[in-house]
Amino acid sequence: MAEITLEKVVKKYGALGVVHGIDLTIAHQEFVVLVGPSGCGKSTTLRMIAGLEDITGGLVRIGGQVVNDLPPRKRNISMVFQNYALYPHMNVRDNLGFGLKIAGQSPAEITRRVAEAADILGLAPLLDRTPAELSGGQRQRVAMGRAIVRNPDAFLFDEPLSNLDAKLRGQMRAEIKKLHQKVKTTVVYVTHDQVEAMTLADRIVVMRDGQIEQVGTPMEVFNHPVSTFVATFIGSPPMNLLPGTIAGQTVRLADGTEVPVPDRLKDFVHDGMAVQLGIRPDDISPVGHGLSQDGPGAEVALTVDLAEPLGMESLIYTRLAGQEVQAKLYGPRIAAPGEVLTFRLALDRAHLFDAATGKSVRVR
Amino acid sequence: MIRALTTRRTELAPFLLLLPAVATMLFVVALPLIFSLWTSLTPYKLTKPNTLYDFIGLTNYIRIFGDWDFWEAFLRTIAFLTVAINVEFALGLGIALLINKITWGQRGLRTIMMFPMMFSPILVGFQFKFLFNDHIGVVNNALQSLGLTDQAIPWLVDAKLAMFSITLAEVWMSTSVFAILLLAGLFAMPRDPLEAAKVDGCNSWQVFRHITLPFLMPFAYIAMAIRSLDVARAYDLVAVMTDGGPAGRTELLWTLVARVGYDEAKMGQANAMAYVSTILSVLFTWYFYRKLVAARRYMGGAE
Amino acid sequence: MTVTVESRASKQAKKVALWLTTFVLMLVMCLPGLWVVLSAFRPNREILAKPPVWIPEEITLDNFGKIFGFGAEQVGIPVGSYFTNSLVIALTSTVIALIIGVAGGYSFARYRFRFKGGIFLGLMLFRAVPGIALSMPVFMMWSRLGLVDTKMGLIIVYVSLNVPFTIWLIDGFFRQIPQALSEAAQVDGCTRWQAFWKIEFPLAKSGIAAAGVFAFLTSWNEFALASQLTRSTDSKTLPVGLLDFTAQFTIDWAGMCALAVVIIIPALILTFIVQKHLIAGLTFGGVKG
Repeated sequence: MAEITLEKVVKKYGALGVVHGIDLTIAHQEFVVLVGPSGCGKSTTLRMIAGLEDITGGLVRIGGQVVNDLPPRKRNISMVFQNYALYPHMNVRDNLGFGLKIAGQSPAEITRRVAEAADILGLAPLLDRTPAELSGGQRQRVAMGRAIVRNPDAFLFDEPLSNLDAKLRGQMRAEIKKLHQKVKTTVVYVTHDQVEAMTLADRIVVMRDGQIEQVGTPMEVFNHPVSTFVATFIGSPPMNLLPGTIAGQTVRLADGTEVPVPDRLKDFVHDGMAVQLGIRPDDISPVGHGLSQDGPGAEVALTVDLAEPLGMESLIYTRLAGQEVQAKLYGPRIAAPGEVLTFRLALDRAHLFDAATGKSVRVR
Repeated sequence: MIRALTTRRTELAPFLLLLPAVATMLFVVALPLIFSLWTSLTPYKLTKPNTLYDFIGLTNYIRIFGDWDFWEAFLRTIAFLTVAINVEFALGLGIALLINKITWGQRGLRTIMMFPMMFSPILVGFQFKFLFNDHIGVVNNALQSLGLTDQAIPWLVDAKLAMFSITLAEVWMSTSVFAILLLAGLFAMPRDPLEAAKVDGCNSWQVFRHITLPFLMPFAYIAMAIRSLDVARAYDLVAVMTDGGPAGRTELLWTLVARVGYDEAKMGQANAMAYVSTILSVLFTWYFYRKLVAARRYMGGAE
Repeated sequence: MTVTVESRASKQAKKVALWLTTFVLMLVMCLPGLWVVLSAFRPNREILAKPPVWIPEEITLDNFGKIFGFGAEQVGIPVGSYFTNSLVIALTSTVIALIIGVAGGYSFARYRFRFKGGIFLGLMLFRAVPGIALSMPVFMMWSRLGLVDTKMGLIIVYVSLNVPFTIWLIDGFFRQIPQALSEAAQVDGCTRWQAFWKIEFPLAKSGIAAAGVFAFLTSWNEFALASQLTRSTDSKTLPVGLLDFTAQFTIDWAGMCALAVVIIIPALILTFIVQKHLIAGLTFGGVKG
């Protein structure tokens, strides 16, 4: 059992606080992704779990044991670094076997386990090469091989894919996912890329300014963002936010347009409340373009300012209630600038945030 | 309890690692400097050991500041360094630009350039003493054989020529520090700003003046900073080439210190002069180091 | 058409000019040294000949035999012991300076601590103290400690002479190695000490060697301090020995040239071996804050 728990974990550099009291429990064999913009403290948190940063306050436990004062080598974790951190003066075989050698394993055992790891990651033909002779994706795989070969309690990944090009990143993402299915181990994965977070995680931890903003499964975080920050950070293109005021059963937007308050949120708002109406581009789409549009909604005529065709869909820039919003047009069709289309807002999937705090009205 | 201990250990580690270095410098440099300061406040003569304990205040300093020989050596030192370093920078820049243009044999040329830098200053001094000797020196021999002069030119005997010869030796020895570092700067120079400037319509002089030169300045400051650590090695050159002669016309601050301190055994007075020369060197290094730090910060923005 | 021909011609001319300038430059760089080396292999009478003998008529090793005290006639200067002294003093001080420098350089490269910039600058400023100025108080102190005219006395001084610049260089070399490598090794089960020896040290090795060569040559070449702190064959080094020749009434040019060659050779070989790393260390340590 390698459950990782963080209890009121704080990190300060002198007077400067970087992480302000984080509570988090990562279950055995769970894949947790820490996501957030740069400077939000996610890497620092990971490095505190690894033992590469001193913990200023709070407790970190791995498998029930407090590890605050244990050096990295005694925590039985392994880590994949952003720039892979392969030892340039060793070939792939020695890179993979280094940790085992330090641990005093017998040469036969090292050979066996290196071969095993190489097999899992398809590194067998590369064992005699040095890191300089490998491509980016191959280096990435060696770094992962070095992590699994020691059979640790937990894997820590620090933005492992950020140096790869888009295509390779997609491939490696899938490989990491497969690897986790093969080698069931607790994983803590740090990234600033919300796509990686969505696709890889069992649970996503959204961080902001050294604090946890929201924890949940990818679908929870996507469907029920607790704040405008999460709403705009998760999901691409980001959710549209329109300021307005609650007037009875409707939200009156800045220009006087009124849209009904979604049923599921009616109990959470009161008259005169300043809110932000959040609606994803996917939920603003033209009527009658082959997409079934059930449920409650509102129809508005909007002028297309700009259309970005993406093949099977187009991203449309338009204005709603005096504010630029993005909408989606499905199907291989192009909308022309200036064209007026009737769009349907899927209001059952809309969100309302308290304008003052930025929090979802549901979590008040 | 344990936590407090580990945090303290990580805070101490860098200081423990630096301890031997700092201790060495304190013992071999700082302590003698304090001793030297005390000596400079006494009339100490090597021949009269007890004079080390007579405190005479700033008398030595007042005496040297009133001594025209001292000022002459001081100003000559300043002039010598100003001329030498400017010439070295200009020549070094020229050489770096030249070698940067050459497509073949760059590495070999760079290696050859490093040799003067690694030569013993005393050797460089001897080498030029040998070349510039008025009877058997190859320079005079060549000039006479070519019929350019019928008399031997007294390179190291004539006061003005001697200073020229010493400066030449100094430039020969130290130009390569500039050339090598500026060349490294040229190698490291990114292509994009150069191309952007060309596209923006700069001519090659403008590109050099506004893009290349500012980029090279941190490298020039490294060279100056390194150079400034060891300016006093010109002492070795003078010691072997003219030993301050003829008639004190090539006397630099450092040779004057040696003469007063060792030859005349007036340690108190010599230490006062030595202090002036130390302050001069330290200011010099400090100035270029600051320049280097500033240039580095300025560059950091573009990276 | 004519335009292209002309421009090609002018390009050619430029190229020739470039080569010519470079050639002259290299000549100026190399000739003085080469002339000394050549003279070391010529008999004194040929060097002194009037009119000058341009093409050597006789190449001889006698000058070397003379200074090292074998062969027909001997020169009264014990170059052999100077050579041994130089070697012992330079090697010992280099090794000690490297140990101190690696510790210090690692500290600057890998830790953040209070007064870091100040300590670094302080070390450099100590290095800037002119040798001749330092020689007087050190001479007075060493004579009380009985260190004047001993190898040990000079070794201690040279260590302090080399520590600042060695730290500057080694700091640069360590900073070229990503910190993540040491961290990866620690996660892989190393102590920080093991991570240093197994990962960081092997990667910085060539740089440390370059710093060592620089330190060695600084000690090997030093004159100002050695000339005051040494007296006899017990501790006199080669650069001081060179000046022995000029102190005599008749200058033995050939002997001096031979001694010069003895001093030059290590400089040439060592420079050649480490030049690449030395430049890398100088620029990296300086440019990256």
